[in-house]
Amino acid sequence: MSRAPLIQRIAERLIRAACRRLPADVRAEHCREWAAELPAILDDQSVRPRLRRALRALSFCAGISRTTRQLSRSARAGARSTRNSRWRTGALPYQSPNVAVRAILGFFIWLGIVLGFITLTRERPNLHSWQLMLILALAVGFDAFCLVDIARAARVRYLPKWAWVLICLIQTPGGGIAYLSIGHIGRPRPVPPGDVKP
Amino acid sequence: MKLTGPLERVLRVMTADPSAPHYGYDLMKAAKLPSGTLYPMLARLQQDGLVDSEWEAQREDAGGRPPRKYYRLTAEGLRVARLELAQAAASAPARQAGYGATRPAPGSTR
Repeated sequence: MSRAPLIQRIAERLIRAACRRLPADVRAEHCREWAAELPAILDDQSVRPRLRRALRALSFCAGISRTTRQLSRSARAGARSTRNSRWRTGALPYQSPNVAVRAILGFFIWLGIVLGFITLTRERPNLHSWQLMLILALAVGFDAFCLVDIARAARVRYLPKWAWVLICLIQTPGGGIAYLSIGHIGRPRPVPPGDVKP
Repeated sequence: MKLTGPLERVLRVMTADPSAPHYGYDLMKAAKLPSGTLYPMLARLQQDGLVDSEWEAQREDAGGRPPRKYYRLTAEGLRVARLELAQAAASAPARQAGYGATRPAPGSTR
C-alpha cells in the first residue's frame, strides 16, 4: 500500500489539528501515539462494515479533540486560577451551568432587552438626547466589558477570539450576550476537597 | 483519586492481567469508553504515577504499522487500583456476592 486510505489521512489531519492545542513539548509524542491507533481502528475486523470503522475513526478523532482541550485546559488551570482569585476570594466554588442552560438564559435576556427597547421607542417616539446617550453609554459599556473579558480569557469556546470580538461588535447587545452565555469559559472547577492524591 | 464509573472500568481491565500492556484502542474497546474519556484519564493516571507507558519497539512483522504506545499499571498503580476496586465492591449496597467479595476476581463483570 503506497498511500494510507483517505479516511486515515483525514483522521490524521484532524488529530494533528487537535494536537496543536497541546504544549509544544508533549505535542509530537501525543500526535504520534494517537495517529498510531488509527490503523488498529480502521483494520478492526470485529467492526463491520467498513463504513462503521470509518465513523469510529472519526469519533475517535472527536474524542482526541476533547482530550487535547481538556489537557491544555488543565495545563493552564494553575495560571488562570491565580489570576482569577483576585475577583472571587473566599466564595463558594462557582459551578457554571452547562452550555444549553446558559444559551437559553442568554436568549431570554436578549429577548427582554430587544422587547424593552422596542416598547420604549414605540411609546416615546421622541426620546430626549440624554436618554439616547444613556442607552448608547450602556451599549458601549457592555461591549467594552465583553471585549475586555475576551481579551483576558485564556481560552474561549467554539469560535476563535477574533470571531467573538466581531460578533460582539456587530450585534449589540445580542452578540455580547451570546458570547457570555456560550463562548465564555468560567473558572476551572476547583479540585473537590475529598480528592486525595495517592 | 475519586473512583468514577469509567475509571473503575479501566482499572478493572488493567488489573485483570496487570502485566499485559494495553494500547489506547484496546482499552477503549475493553472498557467501552470513548477516546475523549479514556485519554484524559490515562494522562491523569500517568501524572499520578499509577500508570506507565512505553513505546512499542519497531517490528518487522507489523506490516508498516507505526509503533504504538502501550500503557501498563505500575506497582503502586496496581496496589491503589486493587484497593479502590475492593472499596467500591465493599461499599456497593446489597450485592449478593457472598464471601470474597472484597476483592473482585480478575475479569469479573458487573
